[in-house]
Amino acid sequence: MKVNDINKLKATAAKCRQNVLRMIKANGSGHLGPAYSCIDIVTALYFYGMNVDPQDPSKADRDIFLLSAGHKGMAQYAVLAEAGFFDKSILDTFGQFKSRVPGHPDMHKLPGIEANTGSLGHGLNLACGIALGKRQDGYGSKVFVITGDGELAEGSNWEAAAIAAHYKLDNLVVFVDHNGLQISGQTKDVMSFEPIASHFAGFGWATKEIRGNDMDEIVAAIDQLPFEKGKPNLIVANTIKGCGFSKAENQVNYHYWNPSEADMALAEKELEDYLAGVQA
Amino acid sequence: MKYEMMDAKKIIGETTAEEADLNPNICVVSTDSAPRTGMGKFIEKYPNRYYEVGIMEQAAIGVSAGLAVTGKVPVFCAPAPFVTARPFEMFKIDVGYMHQNVKVIGRNCGFNYSDLGPTHYGLEDIALVRLIPDVVILAPIDASQLRGAMKAMLRYEGPVYLRIGTAPIPKIFNDDEFEIGKGIVVREGKDVAIITTGEISVNVFEAADKLAAAGIDAMVIAMPTIAPIDEEIIVKAAELTGKIVTVEEHFEVGGLGSAVSEVCAKSFQVPVKRIGVPQTYLSSGPYEDLVDYCKLSVEGITETVLEFVAK
Repeated sequence: MKVNDINKLKATAAKCRQNVLRMIKANGSGHLGPAYSCIDIVTALYFYGMNVDPQDPSKADRDIFLLSAGHKGMAQYAVLAEAGFFDKSILDTFGQFKSRVPGHPDMHKLPGIEANTGSLGHGLNLACGIALGKRQDGYGSKVFVITGDGELAEGSNWEAAAIAAHYKLDNLVVFVDHNGLQISGQTKDVMSFEPIASHFAGFGWATKEIRGNDMDEIVAAIDQLPFEKGKPNLIVANTIKGCGFSKAENQVNYHYWNPSEADMALAEKELEDYLAGVQA
Repeated sequence: MKYEMMDAKKIIGETTAEEADLNPNICVVSTDSAPRTGMGKFIEKYPNRYYEVGIMEQAAIGVSAGLAVTGKVPVFCAPAPFVTARPFEMFKIDVGYMHQNVKVIGRNCGFNYSDLGPTHYGLEDIALVRLIPDVVILAPIDASQLRGAMKAMLRYEGPVYLRIGTAPIPKIFNDDEFEIGKGIVVREGKDVAIITTGEISVNVFEAADKLAAAGIDAMVIAMPTIAPIDEEIIVKAAELTGKIVTVEEHFEVGGLGSAVSEVCAKSFQVPVKRIGVPQTYLSSGPYEDLVDYCKLSVEGITETVLEFVAK
């Protein structure tokens, strides 16, 4: 990929972060940290890695994206809106009763949402079923999943780890959003699943470790899929919780953000400055 | 026994294979459970539509919902507690909330595994699945209805839970006509209405004869769909008889008895006597002893109805 194209993706990710702020502004608060930590990956997938069409969101041969960590939903809404799956004005209803962008994604409410996530540990098993179904249909479709690192404590993930390897699902691609933080503190202190990559490798997955807020590394990983024929793909994406807002980066208290006007203005200003730089 | 006894697993397997011939999207998900569920013929015929995941029921429900997202019609059959209580939250979200076209069969429900005790009894499955909005719950009365219910389930678009005991079950009805959501008046009567579900119903039919001999004219309603419950037939029975008894091989709490009581509380208030399994952890033992203990035998039902009607 050319430098220009990478810059374009970076700019798109910044615009998606602006969409996240728009939702938080509309509602008064939201899961900023988790949304910002994975939004570069979600942007790269919708604007580069996946076969999807906002004009035909249900086309049979599409790739599928599941946000297993549903509390990062704002990241997906932000990217879907930026990609044109729905009108951006819907973002302004975030937090309202019967909003089409609810606290956690609902597949029946918006085009582009493929599962009702939010309860942790559901995405990987759903993804295995989807990957099996897509393979049976003979489409070359891939299934992309983002899980949280704290989420890996749910045992159901490890059931899926076995199934994906057993059925040689090399059309399954899992990004672990490894920001190292969860509500009670550092993930390694709450319940450690380190080293994540070698646990999955032990089940028979092909693994890779990248910097998950670095667009070059995300794109490079996507370009190498499948990493190994006959093996599901696991990418440990080392991310920064709150990446894109200086005050929030690596701060557990920005997991759920209730911003002051001054903080919101600062967050917006930082994105504008960033966009000016990357688009220059 | 005056009825021909049939193998429920064979019926489940045969109907699945027959419907799979017509619908290429039908597939089978197994937790080390399908070959013993009569699915042998299906597996032989359609090995590429058979997904064994080993003994992991949470994953089996999730994988089934995922397959359904791609338009498949997965059938997942295993002992009742392991397809309902064990993976309940996956059932609730992946199948219920996502409203996926998944067919879950809880076999060996009730006291089928009478020798194995409370870990394997299927006594809370209806209660649990009733809590999940928009899931159809079927509990066929006999072998013919099982055949009909299987076909109706596989042709219905949406999540369905079917419960069945898999000891030999009687063939009572001649045809396998089955309409989801409809109760059936099996016997007209005016003194009391007995509403029953599942294959324990055979005892109710026999008890009705004994009640008649004792001068009690009992109406008998077979209720092979628990959700959505046939409200109309319940209200009519309540109006006509003024007294309702429910019979089920399930806890007294949360099952058919609760569903019927809720309809009566809402629409036509009459006394309701629930015959089912008390809320406790019953010891393992011979099936007949358990059924006797819970007053689900012909004699138990007859006695209970007589006492209730005399009040």
